[in-house]
Amino acid sequence: MTPVLAIRGITKQFGGLTALNGVEFTVELGELVGLVGPNGAGKSTLFNIIAGAFPPTSGRVVLHGRDVTHLKSHDLARHGVARTFQQVTLFAELTALQNVLQGLHRHVPARFLAGVLGSAGYRREQRDLEGRGQRLLEFLGIGSVRDEVAGELPLGIQKLVTVAVALATEPTLLLLDEPGAGLSHEEATRMMNLVSTVIRERCTIVLVEHNMRIVSRYCDRAVVLHFGQKIYDGAPEGLTSDQRVVDAYLGVAELA
Amino acid sequence: MRQAALALVLLALVALPPLAEPYILHVAIVVLINVVYAEGLYVIMRMGYLSFGHAGYIALGAYTSALLSTELGVSVWLGFPAGGLVAALFAWALGAVTLKLRGIYFSLSVFAFAEVVSAAFRAFDVFGGPAGIAGVPRPMFLGTRLNTHLGFYYVVLVTALVSLVFLYRLGATRFGFTLLSLRTRHTEILAESVGIDAARYKTLAFVISCFFCGLMGAVHGHYLRFVSPFVFTFFLSTDLVIYNMVGGLGSFWGPLVGSVLLTALGEQLFAAGYYKSLVYAVVLLVVILALPGGLIQITRAREMGAARRLGWGKAPVTTAER
Repeated sequence: MTPVLAIRGITKQFGGLTALNGVEFTVELGELVGLVGPNGAGKSTLFNIIAGAFPPTSGRVVLHGRDVTHLKSHDLARHGVARTFQQVTLFAELTALQNVLQGLHRHVPARFLAGVLGSAGYRREQRDLEGRGQRLLEFLGIGSVRDEVAGELPLGIQKLVTVAVALATEPTLLLLDEPGAGLSHEEATRMMNLVSTVIRERCTIVLVEHNMRIVSRYCDRAVVLHFGQKIYDGAPEGLTSDQRVVDAYLGVAELA
Repeated sequence: MRQAALALVLLALVALPPLAEPYILHVAIVVLINVVYAEGLYVIMRMGYLSFGHAGYIALGAYTSALLSTELGVSVWLGFPAGGLVAALFAWALGAVTLKLRGIYFSLSVFAFAEVVSAAFRAFDVFGGPAGIAGVPRPMFLGTRLNTHLGFYYVVLVTALVSLVFLYRLGATRFGFTLLSLRTRHTEILAESVGIDAARYKTLAFVISCFFCGLMGAVHGHYLRFVSPFVFTFFLSTDLVIYNMVGGLGSFWGPLVGSVLLTALGEQLFAAGYYKSLVYAVVLLVVILALPGGLIQITRAREMGAARRLGWGKAPVTTAER
């Protein structure tokens, strides 16, 4: 079966610095893959390349068998890729529901003339979208904050809103950039429980994470990057016994 | 309550002018023209773009319609939309390039374009040179030329109402709502990640903004009966920014309130002797220091009622970027 995502020999150079060097791996349908590595390993660079933020120097990104290496971010959303950001990124001045609506827009044409004229069909479409947004917030257990201004919510809830925005596009591949970063232990656990149960039922997930413990506990498979090269690709259980992974993380606490 | 107030204002705008002095009509016309300019500018200010060159697009509209009627004898009624379309066309061409820029770089690029437009009008004889184009005719209506203030007032009123209703409703559509998501580079990246083609949205917003400025610019030229580079200057561009800032960028009503108050005030001062700039500057300073959200901040709790009716839930909070 065609993998959902195939990373083919991705190399990325910034000036003289080689951030990624011939990275290869695939992600199969329904998998939850953890992309791991110490700081500076190239995780975020790879993530941004997959999400279309910038192109690789060489190599290809193949999505459902289709080469999407040079597609822009907004085109990738149409091909079923959604992402969250490491720094909480949402429309801070809009409400939670309005945030999700921005993600739902891609399912309907803009039809701005119909909107200006206020046609009945347009208003019905609008109510449908709102209903979908509401259900999505409830799905993540945050239906009660729909009318709260997103920027004023607690960080844990804000992170869930960003996931809701990404899910609103109905992705087949969801890219999560350290969903637990900055959260309390309880909040991070809540987030990861959602990701590893109900959210993964909806889409294939690639998770960037530097916390090995989270990857071991929740992911089906781990891909480890170190100085831009893949040094491990396999079951999370094998991480702690792999000498190269141990070496890469040596001196960094938190192993296992 | 608001609807009743709105209906009353409309009724007054339609029914009272026949009783008014020509000077009052003149003030009303100038106010209506500036309200449309300010609301046109608001379309892009709402998405975080500040233009110091909208006078360039206004001038394009005014010159287009003036030239069509004086040189080619085209009906003034066709000249109005033609003015808007030419402004929109230039906005589309320039916007595709300059909307990638943010902050002061965008503002300066639009300013530079407006200066180029102004210089071109001054330099070439086809555009009348520094003297501009005189004898720009008023439109005909039912066999009479609308040479009175009263007749032309209704032309301006209809143009303004159509424009304002369109722009107001636009703000509450998905399109208008998406513009709010493009207000910073940061949120633009997020918007792109959920499938919004930011460049396309921004270009269309800029085109709409400049279309209405060009349209009203055309009407403006036929009101003055002449166009010249010195009517549509940098100071007009900055006045429009001031109307937006003083009124407030939190809702559609901000630029409207700002432009009505300041234009009406400005016309009085202009008649009294060129203190306009001074007073505008002082008012702007006071508002920025005391009410950073603009005058509209005073009533912000009830803003965007239409957005709620259209199903956007609670009103979006869109305080000015500071």
